[in-house]
Amino acid sequence: MYKALVCCRAGMGSSMLLKIKADQVISENNFPIQTEHGNLDSLMGFNGDLVITMEDLSVELKDKVPYALGVRNIMDKAEMKAKMEEFLATKEK
Amino acid sequence: MLKDLVNEKLIKLQIEASDWEDAVRKAAQPLVDEGKVKTSYVDDIIKGVKEMGPYIVLTKHVALPHARPESGALESAIGIATLKTPVEFGNEDNDPVKYLFSLSAKDSSEHLGALADLAVLFEDKAFFELLDRTTDPKEIMDYINK
Repeated sequence: MYKALVCCRAGMGSSMLLKIKADQVISENNFPIQTEHGNLDSLMGFNGDLVITMEDLSVELKDKVPYALGVRNIMDKAEMKAKMEEFLATKEK
Repeated sequence: MLKDLVNEKLIKLQIEASDWEDAVRKAAQPLVDEGKVKTSYVDDIIKGVKEMGPYIVLTKHVALPHARPESGALESAIGIATLKTPVEFGNEDNDPVKYLFSLSAKDSSEHLGALADLAVLFEDKAFFELLDRTTDPKEIMDYINK
């Protein structure tokens, strides 16, 4: 099981929605990913496997976290699914 | 629940806005008027977008203007606004924005249910068709309450 932190800049609105959508995609596809919700401060000391966030923030985070998954359209499940599969593929090597 | 956080006074339909900043101010003003947020909360939303980019634009044509609770959220609430003429936020994936859901969040647990309901509404074509069609906040409330 991989641990994901779902975060956005404020940590109140968009990331909560993002977590709801991420959890839907994870359960629909039985992905071995477990999400927790946080804000930028939660990144300090985060020891999980990936960070799920909005696209603009993921660009900034790329070098700071093990894996940054950036979402462009929060409601687009196909996008989220494809990006999670990309992440999982990096783990299968 | 969403219906506990929205009321007719927080819904402004077909407003005219000159740009994204004007749109955010007009969409969030009912939350100020109804004592849900301080003016500083709206200022921080604008400041946030200026400093960090259009992070509040989440999906096609939809923005969720919000700041951190300590910016001046007094009570959890959600305002709904539509624009007569959509505006550009500078988010190439999801511009132009026509629908604004202004969010006041006091703490994370309190409004999680409401956000879950919003997530469902965002996928509901009939809801957006209603938003396009009506100028009567009551019709929106009836839809949310059903």
